[in-house]
Amino acid sequence: MSNEAFTQLVDAHYASLYRFALSLARNGADAGDLVQETFFVWATKGDTLRDQAKAKSWLFTTLYREFLRGRRRDARSTSIEDLPEDEKDIAAEDVDRIGKMDAPAVMAALQSVDEVFRAPLTLFYLEELSYLEIADALDVPIGTVMSRLSRGKAQLRTALSDVDRGAGTKVVAFAAKGGRA
Amino acid sequence: MSNNEAKFLLNACRPNGRDASDPAFAAAMAQARSDPALGAWFAQEQAHGAAVAAKLQEIAPPPGLREAILAGGRATQRAAAVRPRRPMVTWGALAACFAALIAASVALWPARAPAANALTSFALYDVAYGRHGGRGEATAELAQQLGSPATHLSAGLPIDFSRLKNTGCRTLQVAGHSVLEVCFVRNGAEFHCYIGRAADFHVGAPAAVQFVQQAGLTAAAWTKGSYRFVVVGGAGLDAVKRLL
Repeated sequence: MSNEAFTQLVDAHYASLYRFALSLARNGADAGDLVQETFFVWATKGDTLRDQAKAKSWLFTTLYREFLRGRRRDARSTSIEDLPEDEKDIAAEDVDRIGKMDAPAVMAALQSVDEVFRAPLTLFYLEELSYLEIADALDVPIGTVMSRLSRGKAQLRTALSDVDRGAGTKVVAFAAKGGRA
Repeated sequence: MSNNEAKFLLNACRPNGRDASDPAFAAAMAQARSDPALGAWFAQEQAHGAAVAAKLQEIAPPPGLREAILAGGRATQRAAAVRPRRPMVTWGALAACFAALIAASVALWPARAPAANALTSFALYDVAYGRHGGRGEATAELAQQLGSPATHLSAGLPIDFSRLKNTGCRTLQVAGHSVLEVCFVRNGAEFHCYIGRAADFHVGAPAAVQFVQQAGLTAAAWTKGSYRFVVVGGAGLDAVKRLL
């Protein structure tokens, strides 16, 4: 891949990849590392991708796999079946409330959603991938993506309400410096 | 299809309208148009999704990330380009391949910056966002020497790369190559010294110290002996120059 093509690929996707990574890793330093690692994998293996039109999906898939590989599995993660249904509909005030929130607060709410729902939910809100592409990227059936989106949205609504009430908020480091030697 | 089934499907419909023509949503969307309650629910759902999506778009990647990716990508691709993949080739074929790869490299990277810049970009990014740490007697000795006002970094440092790496010095991978990092304090200011093998970063003949300033950080990069050094600090250009 030429220098110019690589630059175009980075410019087209690195911001969305960073937002996806930030929702997964929950801190800016690890998110930046994940994005760098993803493009490093592309630089070493990306040329083997026959259909370059699938580069975007490939990048999101690779980032997610790198994330899964890099973290210890959380045995306490909640299975889908454990979660109660949330049939609460969205009110117009809910939409207005989000508009008044700052972006880090919305990201913090998203980061509080269970990981199993958070990955498809973030990809959905990034609007880069369709539900079919999300299923492909996360390697789960289409029905599972739809189920996780539905339940993830319910969790997010609750989290956004909590943030708005000032409860359950988390401090999220977006560009914070790490510890020093 | 019940309204609950329609909601289940419509939940996967992106608020930006890019899924509007997807046949999988056609029946549910038609139902939303004919059922006022479902239609109102769908409109609110889309508005809510659009509001969340807009907020996510406001989150910007940290400064320097793009440059670090680009620098790392170039260095990685160049390193891959000059590495022969098949060890069992004749010297003639190897020479021919090498010549072709060099030619291709020149053609592919017409505006190429020295690969050594990859280490500088990485160092600036790592100081801003990395997680630092390190241990080991050799690391402590080097940190002490770096912190001494009597030490002029560009005059040369006693680097035993393998010993540092094997005894706990923080070791990073930059474009597939090991780089040591040592944090030190000089006159109350914090600095970070990155040490890579010059051969790994395609450094030519030793040149003058290069300075780069970015996002409140200053980097000085130079080559001494068989090592490439980058020192980064946030105390300004003069403070970094005084180290040298």
